[in-house]
Formats: sequence, C-alpha cells, structure tokens
Amino acid sequence: MLRAKVRFGLLIGAIALLVFLILFQQALRDGLITSFIGAIEHQDAPVLVFSTDARRNLQSSTITPELEAQVRAVDGVGEVGRIGQGTYSVTAGGSITGAAVIGYEKRGLGAPESLTAGRYPTADGEGIANVTDASAGFDLGDVVKVQPGGYEIRIVGQSEDTNLQASPTIFTKYGTWEQAVQAANPDAQTPLPNALGVRPAPGVTAQQVVTRINAADNALEALTRADAATKAPGVAQVSSSFLVIFFLYALVIPLVIGLFFLIITLQKARSLTVLRAIGARSSTLVRGLLAQVLVVVGLGVAIGTLLFLPLSFQRVGSIPLSFDAAAVGAWAIGILALGVLSSWFSARRVLRIEPASALSGGGST
Amino acid sequence: MRLALREMRRRPGQFMTAAVLLTLISMLLMLLGGLLDGLILRSTGAIRAQRADLVVFSATAEKSFLRSRVTPETRAQVEAVPGVTSVGGIGVTQLGARVPGNGPRDLADIALFGYQQAPNGVPAPPADGEVWADSILKDNGVKQGQTLLLGPERSPVKVVGFVDDVSYSGAGSLWGNPATWRDVQNANRPASSVAPGVFQALVVRTDRSPSSVADAIDRATNGATGTVSRNTASDAIGGVKQQRSVFNQIIGVTLVIAAVVVALFFALLTVERVGLYGVLKAIGARSRSLFAGVVAQAAVVALTAAAVGTIFAVLLDVFLPPGAIPYQLLPSRVVISAVALLLAAVVGSSFSLRRVLRVDPASAIGRAS
Repeated sequence: MLRAKVRFGLLIGAIALLVFLILFQQALRDGLITSFIGAIEHQDAPVLVFSTDARRNLQSSTITPELEAQVRAVDGVGEVGRIGQGTYSVTAGGSITGAAVIGYEKRGLGAPESLTAGRYPTADGEGIANVTDASAGFDLGDVVKVQPGGYEIRIVGQSEDTNLQASPTIFTKYGTWEQAVQAANPDAQTPLPNALGVRPAPGVTAQQVVTRINAADNALEALTRADAATKAPGVAQVSSSFLVIFFLYALVIPLVIGLFFLIITLQKARSLTVLRAIGARSSTLVRGLLAQVLVVVGLGVAIGTLLFLPLSFQRVGSIPLSFDAAAVGAWAIGILALGVLSSWFSARRVLRIEPASALSGGGST
Repeated sequence: MRLALREMRRRPGQFMTAAVLLTLISMLLMLLGGLLDGLILRSTGAIRAQRADLVVFSATAEKSFLRSRVTPETRAQVEAVPGVTSVGGIGVTQLGARVPGNGPRDLADIALFGYQQAPNGVPAPPADGEVWADSILKDNGVKQGQTLLLGPERSPVKVVGFVDDVSYSGAGSLWGNPATWRDVQNANRPASSVAPGVFQALVVRTDRSPSSVADAIDRATNGATGTVSRNTASDAIGGVKQQRSVFNQIIGVTLVIAAVVVALFFALLTVERVGLYGVLKAIGARSRSLFAGVVAQAAVVALTAAAVGTIFAVLLDVFLPPGAIPYQLLPSRVVISAVALLLAAVVGSSFSLRRVLRVDPASAIGRAS
C-alpha cells in the first residue's frame, strides 16, 4: 500500500466520498421526517383524534361538536383537550414566510413535551418555537406577526424537533390560535378544532383508548402519538425514497471495493505466484488482502465521517441536519462488512494460485 | 472496432455481468423516471391545464392557494391593467370524499376547484351542486351520476362527467362553479371561509409580455398581489420541488453507479486483455482503434440494457393496476434515460483509455507468450 499510494489513495477517497454522501443523506432523511412530523412526535398528548376525512393530516381534520361529544363519552377516556392548527403567512425577522401555528387547550394534551429554553405560554399572544428556527426570526423575545391582520405572537419558549410540514412552527394557547385564524382570514368563521388530544383514564392504555374511539364512530380516527407521527401522509414515501438511495449505495460500495481489489489481485498475480512458490501460505496472502481492505475501508469511513461532521451542524434549506452517532456507527460497521464481503472474489483468486506455475514463468490466473 | 463487436458476438458470456448490472440499473432508471413524472403530473395537472399566462395570488400568500385571498376590489384593479385580456377567479379546497359503495373509512382524496374560466379539457362550469371529476377518481370507484359527500359536513356534489390530466397535489380534482366551491369550503373549513366574490387566486390571460404584465398587475394593486407565471405557480404546489429534487438526486446517483460499474468492468477486462492488445498493437493496430473498440463494447452493452429497461417500463405501464403507484411512462423520459445510460457507459469506459495507451507491444507479447 505504501508503494502504491496514489492507487490506494484514490480508492480511499472514493470510499470517503461515498461515506460522506451516505451520512449526509441519512441526516437529510432524518431531518426531513422530523421537520414534517416532529410536532406530532414530540407533543405530549398520548392519543390524537382526527376526523376520518383528514386522512391523518392535522390541518385537514375538523372535529365537529358532535364528534367531540362522542370522544368525551368513550369509556376509558380521561382528559380531552382541543388542538387547532393552520399554516399562515407571518412576518418574522423582517420577511414574510409560511409558519404553522398549533394551539393547544391544556398542557399534557398537545403542548411540546419539553422545552430547551424559556417557558410555556401563560397568556394569549405567546408562543413556543423550534430552537433551530431562532435565526429565522423565531428566537426568544422575537415577535412574529400573522398576516395580513398583523396579530402578534411573542416567542417565550424554545423546544427541539417540533416542526410541522417542514415549516417554522409555533405552539400557542388555543385562544392564540383562534385569533391567528381571524388575523389570517378576516372572513373566517369561529374555527373548529382540528384534532383532540386524549389522555386515557388511569388503568387504561393508549392503545385501548384508540380502539374504543375508533369503534365509536367511523368519522373518527384515533391514533397513538407514535402512530400519528409515523403514519402521517408522506412519511412512508420519504422513507422509501431514501431507502432506494441507500440500497443503491449498498450496491455500489461492494462493487467498487470488490472490483478494485480484484484488479489489484490480477495485476499482482505474478508476484503472488512467486510468493506462493517460495513458501508463503495462501492464508497469509488472504490475511494480507483482508488487512488492506480493512485499512482502506476504515480510512475511507473515518475521512468521510470527518468530512460530514462540520456539515451536520448546518441546515439544508429549512431542514436542520444533525450528527447521529448511532447511525454513523451502524453505517461504519455495515460498510466495513460490505468491504470485507466484497473482497471474497479476490480472496478466491488468491487461493486458486498454483505455485508450480511460477516455475514455467506463468502467473496470470 | 469491428473486431471488438465480433468479440462480443463470439464471447457474449464475457459481457454478461456488466449487461445484467446495467440492465438492472436501466430498469431502475426507467422506474424512477416514471415515478417522478407520475408524481409531478399528478400534482400539477390542474394548474398546467389553466388557459392562462399568469396566476395572481395575494402578496402575503407566497404562491399558496390555501393562504391566498383576492377580493373583488383587487380583481377590478387587475382587470384594468393594460394588456390583461381575461381574468377568471379560482379557488380550491382539499377534502375527503365518501364514494357510494365504498367502506365508511375508504375515502377518496379530492381537490374541489371553483372556476370561472374553463381550463383545457374542462367544460364550462356546471350548475350548482354539480362537478366534473378527474378521471383518476375512477380508480376510487367514482362513476358518472353518483353523488359524492365531501368533508366532515358531507356536502353533496353530483358527478356529471369526467376530465383528464387535471389532478392537484396528488389528489383527483373535482371542478364546480364558484358557488359550489364556496359552499363546500365554508361548510367544511370554517377557519378558511371565503366571502362572496372572494377567490383564492386569479388566472389571467394577456396579449403582451407576461412578465411585464405581471409587474404591472403588482404595481396596480400597490403590492397587494404576487403575480407569477403559470409554471411558477405549478412548481409552488407543496412537495413538487422536493419530489423533483429527491428523485433527480436518486437518478443522478444511479447514473454515477452505472458509470462506476462500467469503468470497473472495462478496467478489469482491459487488464485481462493486455496481452491481446499488445499483439494487436504489434501488428499495426492503433491505440485509438483499440480504445474505440472498448467504448463501442460499452455502448452496445448500455444500449442492450436500455432496450430491456424500456421493455420493462412499457410492461409495467401496461400491467400495473390502476392507482397502485403514480407511475407515468413518457417517451421523452425513455429517451432521456437511455441517452443518460449510454453517456454514463461511455464516460465509464473512458477510464480504460490510459491503460490502453500504456500497453507496450513488446512487453505485452512477452507476457502473453
């Protein structure tokens, strides 16, 4: 390896680039999904109830008074709180942007499950924004105006991973959301809640409540918090799209490594034959090959990870990236395993070398 | 080059690995391209069909129909702009539709449009409570003459006929008159109610330069409007840009993989043929001819893979159950995919150039013997 630095350097560079691309796209996928449904996943109601018409889309759901009464009457339902949501044009940081406003009636039934800074709203006109949107005019103390009415919401708290629909998202008290609706659309009638947050009564599980609510009326669709996040429209499509990309990478990595070492083995065939002829054992040559694979892939993974590290603190458009050590570790192990597996063809060539052919001046396999 | 092609005829097995890999990649390219086209066409059909040069939104809406409101006063200002030849109001609301005969939870995603100016392929606005339905809704069991119940308020609309290629944001569209749309919107989306005469946007035709008329409209309304071309409005539909970007990225990675596969395969082949190339060079063959042979072989492999991939794409288009996935096979996509695969193969095989040039006839013959 030391004598063919350029050749091995190119392979290490190629693997580093692939690792960088994989880690970047893994972070992009995670960021994209969190940006779409983080607000659902990290709100604190154990069960969410939508209208069936909404197809699990919070903004498209409407809970009529009749449906709300039905939910409250279901056996095993403890507390119920209204949740309203809409995406509005707001002025933040001096420019107009789209932002999701989520109004919750009670803590524990639709508020962010925890804060990273500040406090929960105690009055109308206050809100909690996602910490990654701070630089976009949603920092603590910033005032966001809902347009065209100009209704003001002051940011008093910050939470993490609580975006919806890849937009800046503000959690507010329910009354704040109702006023935001009027500010955004002067023609609006009194809005109905988009969903209900439900806490099961003591001794009843979230799943049991879900089953009972769904049995009460076909116009209701209850989901546990986790299901509401993972079964939200678009999440499965995003996941499967990225799965295709990762599958392609899983195809290309062993191909690149395998073919590279196969070519190297073919080129070294005469030297390897001579080594076998003077007593080197096949297992020694294969171990040398595997050591090269491990060093090359290991260095590629390390360099790729180092390249990704500074990028993991950045944003791609509205999507914040992050460094997920577990995912990086899993990919590193996977790529090393693929690299070792792909060297199998080269190892087979090495094992098939016939030492006697060195005597006749051969050596090509 | 003739020698290279003859080699392919006599020893096809040698190229089988690359051919199989490239065929798989070609099938993947066609599938990805078909999915991208299907998704984009199903998202943008309703806007692409508009007989309009420009779409006028309210300034704060950022090209979102949902957040836009255009009042009758603003509309009058738009109509007075020189060069504006026609103005039509348009609005849309997305709801679930209960289809007669389907299960109580088996709803169809629909987008109900209220329109004044008929889009391409859509007849004039029907009577109150009646709609033209997007033909893709047939996959959900929708039939002419049926009454669909829209949204949580179960607003009834009667289907009077079908229209093609007018989907919106992945949902089948329904086209009714403005009163029908306004009634359904206000009943089911009280927070997004629209007053009489108010539309979400205006579609505008002009006999002058669209960009200058767009500027003139925004000036005439004192900045109350954001006027964009029909294509820009189409691209602004939620998810369109993201879908295009993700799929193009996947397609790009796939092409890079194709180039890498071809590069490594032909590098391997060239290493194995060094002796043969040495002999050919010794008897007068030029490096250029040998390299052209390598490129020709890569091109043949790529074209064969593209042909099989195209057959796969056509079969998929024919046998895919309606509505299973948003797959749409366009001839332009087949041509683009085939050309891209060919280019990737040519680029990939070019990496063998240096090795072919470096073949020394004397040493190669010595090694071969």
